[in-house]
Amino acid sequence: MRQFFPVEDLARDDRFVQTNMAERMRDTRSAVDVKKSKSKSRSASNRLTPERHDASDAARGLMHGIMVGEIQALEGAGRTAHDFPAGDGTGDTIPFELKLDMARQAWDEARHVEISVKLSDWMGTEIGQFQENTVLFEAACSNDPVLRLAGVNRALEGLAIDVFTQMKEFGQLAGDPFLEFCEDWMLADEVTHVKMGSDWLRKVTEKDPERRAKALEFQQVVDKLFSFGGARGESDESPIGLARRFRELAGFTDDEVDTIASMDHDALEERKAAIRRAREVAGV
Amino acid sequence: MTTSTSPLVTVTPERFTLVTYDADEIGSIVRALAERIGIANPIVVEVDERTPLSKMSAVVDGSSSDATIRLRFESGALENTKALTTFGEPRARLSIGRMLVRAADRLSGRFDDAPQDTELTNPQNAAWDAYCGGRLERLDLGPVEQQYRYDFRNRFGFGDDTDAAFDRLWSADGLAWSDLPGN
Repeated sequence: MRQFFPVEDLARDDRFVQTNMAERMRDTRSAVDVKKSKSKSRSASNRLTPERHDASDAARGLMHGIMVGEIQALEGAGRTAHDFPAGDGTGDTIPFELKLDMARQAWDEARHVEISVKLSDWMGTEIGQFQENTVLFEAACSNDPVLRLAGVNRALEGLAIDVFTQMKEFGQLAGDPFLEFCEDWMLADEVTHVKMGSDWLRKVTEKDPERRAKALEFQQVVDKLFSFGGARGESDESPIGLARRFRELAGFTDDEVDTIASMDHDALEERKAAIRRAREVAGV
Repeated sequence: MTTSTSPLVTVTPERFTLVTYDADEIGSIVRALAERIGIANPIVVEVDERTPLSKMSAVVDGSSSDATIRLRFESGALENTKALTTFGEPRARLSIGRMLVRAADRLSGRFDDAPQDTELTNPQNAAWDAYCGGRLERLDLGPVEQQYRYDFRNRFGFGDDTDAAFDRLWSADGLAWSDLPGN
């Protein structure tokens, strides 16, 4: 079986249309107020709650994003279980028990895909109705298994914690029993996946601080990317909040979460500045 | 809703810069749908291309046959969700159709006591949308009933009574504002 699968070769049927972050960021429209704010006062809330006038539409879009994200997470965990030979964790080897954890994660993600498809159907979404951003799988393409743990298990699954928490709250507030219940169960799995990543990263790099530092640095790059230009963050301008409590349960330290929050803020401000520049050029 | 005269349609902006929409294409869709629905009033369409959101509204200045209908769309309401920033005809036809059916309701005199679209509450919006959705289906515009049902449930609760109310709206014709739940 083939190893190290590039993102371009992911198997999808003709319902799916793929995109990437570069394309996504070329869209210079914005749902947030991009004017330079002189004070610290907050703009109107964009948080995904049932009170939003477009709540159902926005929830459908996010649910579709979750569904394709689960497919990519399944592919990422499956690749990591297969791509590296079993060994003591040095070089390109990974401990056999880590392979087992990745296999378990792949099984969880497969179940999440099925649940997400059913939830999408329940909300009135068709599979492939929205673009699939392949950025999640791209984080799972590193040749170093430790970087994959940082990129997939900590950054990607960390994002999943934030998204599931948001959707669970949405279901709770709207009184949607299926959405709330399903998101809660998937959230529990994601906390476990992040914890597995944190534990293995620590264990495999125990005697290699340089490799650990490199992995954590890579995680920061991926975390900023997964902020999607500030779509996730602690500001009310971000549709998706940062789930501090569940991240803590998954093994993130307060400092780590603070760093992510700060990167989310920077990503939002950078995105606003980019949109302002693009609009000046376009004259709108 | 019996006339077959083609309405005068104006679309702004005439040229889009942040999205690849075509004002003429939008205008011809509006004209064709208005004719099918039986609207001959002049129509002004305003598209806000600065936001990807999909809020929309229909304002009618009076109730006479020459009263101007003003349709406002955020760009997401007319977008191809498989290729962002490009025009999506099926989605646009549904959004435009929904606003035109609302405008026709306002012109009918049965919705005179309805608030302006921008002042509708979320439940009022969802109820009116459900009533519009069924009629769009009967116009063969292909709305996804489950989407409307889910929106309605989000506003009125998840239960059998809610579903029964939705079914009544979906299959109805000739309702007045006071017939819609949420008022």
